[in-house]
Amino acid sequence: MSREPVLTKKDCVKGAIRWSLMAVTTFNYDTQLAPAVVFGIGPLLRKIYPDDDEYVEALNNHFKYFNTHPWVANLVFGATLALEDREGISACDAVQNIKVSLMGPLAGIGDTLIWTLLPTILGSIAGYMALEGNPVGVILWLLTNLFFIAVRTQLMWVGYKEGTKLITKFGNRIAQITDAASVLGLTVVGALAATVVTAKTSLVFQMGEISMPLGDLLDKILPSMISVLTVWALYKLIGRKGMKVTKIILIVIVFSMICSALGILA
Amino acid sequence: MTLSALQIILLILVAAEINLDRRGLSLTHARPAIVGFLCGLILGDMNSGLYIGGTFTLMSLGVAAIGGSSVPDYGVATIIACAFAKTTGQGPEVGITIGLPVGMLGVQMDVLYKICNSFIAQKAQKYANEKQFTKMYRILYLCPVMVAVFMSLPTAIALTAGAPLVQMILDVLPAWVTGGLSVAGKLLPGLGIAMLLHYMPAKKYFNYILIGFVMSAYLGMPVLGIALLGLALAYMFYIGNEQKATVGFAGGLEDE
Repeated sequence: MSREPVLTKKDCVKGAIRWSLMAVTTFNYDTQLAPAVVFGIGPLLRKIYPDDDEYVEALNNHFKYFNTHPWVANLVFGATLALEDREGISACDAVQNIKVSLMGPLAGIGDTLIWTLLPTILGSIAGYMALEGNPVGVILWLLTNLFFIAVRTQLMWVGYKEGTKLITKFGNRIAQITDAASVLGLTVVGALAATVVTAKTSLVFQMGEISMPLGDLLDKILPSMISVLTVWALYKLIGRKGMKVTKIILIVIVFSMICSALGILA
Repeated sequence: MTLSALQIILLILVAAEINLDRRGLSLTHARPAIVGFLCGLILGDMNSGLYIGGTFTLMSLGVAAIGGSSVPDYGVATIIACAFAKTTGQGPEVGITIGLPVGMLGVQMDVLYKICNSFIAQKAQKYANEKQFTKMYRILYLCPVMVAVFMSLPTAIALTAGAPLVQMILDVLPAWVTGGLSVAGKLLPGLGIAMLLHYMPAKKYFNYILIGFVMSAYLGMPVLGIALLGLALAYMFYIGNEQKATVGFAGGLEDE
């Protein structure tokens, strides 16, 4: 079902600003940045869906887990908004798949270039100059950030335009593309499952003469075992009936305090 | 030398601003050098401000809050260090040793506001489903408020009650509380991934999860490299499907 697109450049700039101001302040362990997504592009969705029921469905779709680098996230929203603007509420599943599959790679690029490389370069300059009492490096850093703020206000519109092009080009292949995109997404998720939990055990395994740190032993059996086991246990917990995320969080906190007190995890 | 009430208020506002900014706008982004510059302006001691900011900047290079992880609040550490360098009159080095523990408290504060946000997010979604859209948007404003309050709290306490009190709180809290919160902060990011696995066709394409895991756990490949590999796999998958579709079509013709 195709419909006449309603979003303008002005809408997209507004959405980008709303998102940029909220972004990580809404971080929660349940859906991570999803509330900021709703806050940022909610008014744009309202424009696409004048019908209340469709609007609620679209909002619920965007209330699902989302986390990527907040600067480049605008590109993703632009692309998915373009899809929703053309296809309407039937695009919900495709929107979710595109978001999930793009967020991993974009986070990878953003975390490497923007969160690590950029502050390393600008920070080294500003830091060394500051030690000598020279604020020029600091001002340079502020100006650079200002420049990027200006760029970021445009990114949602870029995503929207490119997304539209992409969608007109591939049109009926969306299902295949989203399936391929979930392949990419799941590959990254597999990698994250190995690294996302950073807790370590300090227990030492002892048997007669032999003593070996339990962490090393576990890593010999399966690297990142604690991380994988945690993700697996949480996955199983979520699947259980009557298990709400807040309940899981409380369970994890109590569990962590017990483990910390017994010296099992640190 | 003591700080004026205005200076204390301004420093607390800086603590709130840099922590909001770090999570959104990204102008000052809580970078210690920039924070030190601001504190220098407020306290009228630019040299100490820049020196402390520069020191913390170099200390924190390579420490990035990636994917919502909780890291020491070097921005707040800078504020406290600048304030106490001024009040104790013992120079920036003393300020730095006082500032760092307060900055470390930022990790606990970070975990706390993120837990509060879960309740706000659920409430917002409930409002959405009840079609109370104005209320939904309004309650989301609580998230930045949480950040501002929680993240500026250590600064407010340290500046009004003095750093010894902050250290005392850290000492008085039993180890299992602080340690437990820190362990919870390390375990909880796994919840997001677990949620993700529920949304995605994880069972259907389990093999790709395994590939990503092996690359990361056994080969230690950075996530960008794995994403590129995933891109290659996705492309192969797409082309494979494409060929299947055309072969199926051609086969259909032959049958006739």
